[in-house]
Amino acid sequence: MRVPESVYKELKEYCARLARRGYVTAHGGNASIRSGNIMWITRHASSLENLRPEDVIQVYIDKPSSFDAIASTETIVHREIYRRTPNLAVLHAHPPHTVAMSFFVEELIPPDSEGYYVLKRVPVVEGSPGSPELAENVANALKKYHAVIVRAHGVFAAAKFMDIAYQYICMVEHSAKILWLTECLKILGREIIRPRVF
Amino acid sequence: MSEIFGWTGRALLVDLSTGITKRIELEREVLLKFMGGRGLGAKIVYDGVDPRTDPFHRDNILVFAVGPLTATKVYTSGRYCVVSKSPLTGGLFYSSSGGFFGASLKKAGYDAIIIRGRASDSVYLYIDDEEVKLEKASHLWGKGTKEVREILKRDLGREFRVVCIGPAGENLVRYACIVNDISNAAGRGGLGAVMGSKNLKAIAVRGSRKVRVADPDALNDLMEKAKIRVIWNPILDKALAYYGTSSLVNIINEHGMLPTRNFQLGYFEEADAISGETLRERIFVKRASCYNCPVACKRITRTKSMGGEGPEYETIGSLGSMLMIGDIEKVAEINYLCNDLGLDTISTGVTIACAMELSERGVIDEKIEWGDAEKVKELVGKIAAREGIGNELAEGSKRFAEKYGMSECAMHVKGLELAMYDPRGAFGQALSYATSNRGGCHLNAYMIAVEVLGVPYLMDRFSPTGKPPIVVYLQNLAAAIDSMVLCKFMAFEFDDEMFANFLSAVTGENYTQETVVKTGERIWNLERVFNIRAGIEPSQDTLPSRLLSPLQNGPCKGKVPPLRQMLQEYYYVRGWREDGIPTAEKLKELGIEPPEGWE
Repeated sequence: MRVPESVYKELKEYCARLARRGYVTAHGGNASIRSGNIMWITRHASSLENLRPEDVIQVYIDKPSSFDAIASTETIVHREIYRRTPNLAVLHAHPPHTVAMSFFVEELIPPDSEGYYVLKRVPVVEGSPGSPELAENVANALKKYHAVIVRAHGVFAAAKFMDIAYQYICMVEHSAKILWLTECLKILGREIIRPRVF
Repeated sequence: MSEIFGWTGRALLVDLSTGITKRIELEREVLLKFMGGRGLGAKIVYDGVDPRTDPFHRDNILVFAVGPLTATKVYTSGRYCVVSKSPLTGGLFYSSSGGFFGASLKKAGYDAIIIRGRASDSVYLYIDDEEVKLEKASHLWGKGTKEVREILKRDLGREFRVVCIGPAGENLVRYACIVNDISNAAGRGGLGAVMGSKNLKAIAVRGSRKVRVADPDALNDLMEKAKIRVIWNPILDKALAYYGTSSLVNIINEHGMLPTRNFQLGYFEEADAISGETLRERIFVKRASCYNCPVACKRITRTKSMGGEGPEYETIGSLGSMLMIGDIEKVAEINYLCNDLGLDTISTGVTIACAMELSERGVIDEKIEWGDAEKVKELVGKIAAREGIGNELAEGSKRFAEKYGMSECAMHVKGLELAMYDPRGAFGQALSYATSNRGGCHLNAYMIAVEVLGVPYLMDRFSPTGKPPIVVYLQNLAAAIDSMVLCKFMAFEFDDEMFANFLSAVTGENYTQETVVKTGERIWNLERVFNIRAGIEPSQDTLPSRLLSPLQNGPCKGKVPPLRQMLQEYYYVRGWREDGIPTAEKLKELGIEPPEGWE
């Protein structure tokens, strides 16, 4: 079960980046990398700020195993994403602006050009942490979109490469932040000038 | 007694020497201070048994006790505790069991059965609500636990719940257990042998009353919340539900902590062949549940030639990796045998592992080879019957190894064989083992939860930092849970606040987080005082020398728990003297009258 060094380094690097950005707090968030019929996923209650080799757990894609007990609570969601999409890396974080926006919208349409260009839109779904319902909703959304927001919870992003999944999460949060700032400015009486070219 | 909820306020006193049974009132103050189950039993034994009494003497007391939450809507409330002076450790010992017996005892109207004396001939105790009698058990004597339960249920009625001992208890094997329902067992400490020493083969009980709950609406609300929390919990709702406790085999092995070859190794190459996955694939028949339990972690299993319940994780370790048996069917069959003969599987496996090592070293003449499952089956039969070398093994690993001058090969603490977590891989568990009032027990502070499973959070398993206060807290909480009486698996989700809320709703008393934990602390100290007076000195708060030396391979290579350092802090956190003796002030603070001459 010992995690390959390259897998560990990749997970450690991107988990630390999420923590540095404040997208996960304390023991929140999780990440995984797929390799054939297995995935390497962060351990339940591990700290993404400083991931240790034994904080990475190997579980199967096509069936549960006893290691599910110590793997991330969201293992079921990661598993379903890999089953339904061709992605090889999944990140889950709780970026604050995104979570705040999730209380007010059914989908996030990035107001910034780069966010819109890459993400187009980011749906908001519901489901309790670690539940089959959440796994279903998130995996279905990721068949069509790069990222999905879970209301009052956080965001999942999936891609072929970890770096790209990380980029998606950053862009979702950036777009949510821009949206929040523009809404604030509107409240302050500023008139919005829509871009002629997007 | 004024109006009472939760408790029945009554106990059944049984004097086997005279054959007299009578109902007695329990003092409200005692129930409030010691709650029930383990705490109530400890108080009764503490007050009624001289700590120096031979556990097999008629003056030893055997208590079966339930708690204020027993037979209520609270999950896992069908359990009971047995409390007595242990023939294995010599200390005040409790053993808890699931199933349905506890709920039936409570519904019959009793918080406890207090058994004294010794019957001149074998008997069983019959309880049908108010009707209580001692019946001859000569037709049951010598029979296995499965047959005894079947005979009594057939003769008395299927609604009767039965606890009984097997031949091992009759023959005073020091780690004989008490078995009930679906092979649930009050497994540890040899309390089945105490029952055997009293010539008490079984207790059959039927109860028809309802437990009075002070605030049913509040309890209903709590259970709605509890239901959601259990469903969300990955350990309870997924791992335990799907694989049972055997889900731990691969996890603990990968952490380099699966006791192998009598704790000489922490990694078993063939672990997957005895894992939860393999159990499910090869011998699983169906899940089974104890009284009012949503988890249903029990496994009904069947091999090619036998059937039964289990094996549980601890059994897989002690009868599998410890003995180098990498075959789940063989492990299951030895387990069925132990259950039927009434033997604690952990102590049986660890004692046989000790014998295998002594055989390998040429210390004993008997040829017992690692991995020889057929030989193990033969030994299990001999232990229960105390035949040949079985008579020596029936004394437990400590006495057996001492006899041959090989104490270092006995993997025990205070005489109780260690459970299946190598403490070199979890320093908090090392401290928990060393300080347990029971001895080598994993259940008094299950540090594996925080050091491996990440429940409720994950601590560095190789660091002593912060471990003593957590061990103290978990020991106190475990004592309280054992006194309510609930299954400790509930602590994977519920905290002391939730337990306090359950207690308040059921009893109408104002329980808080503090009072729950304080009750546990009181029980812990009471047990400690009894044990010290029984001769279990604080110097026994240690581990076998083998476990204070590093493993040479695997994930725990080179690691040794800094036990002395942790013990100093542990005693400090407990408010005890530096030498591990509870102070008179601490006892008074907890409402325990210090024994005469206690400083």
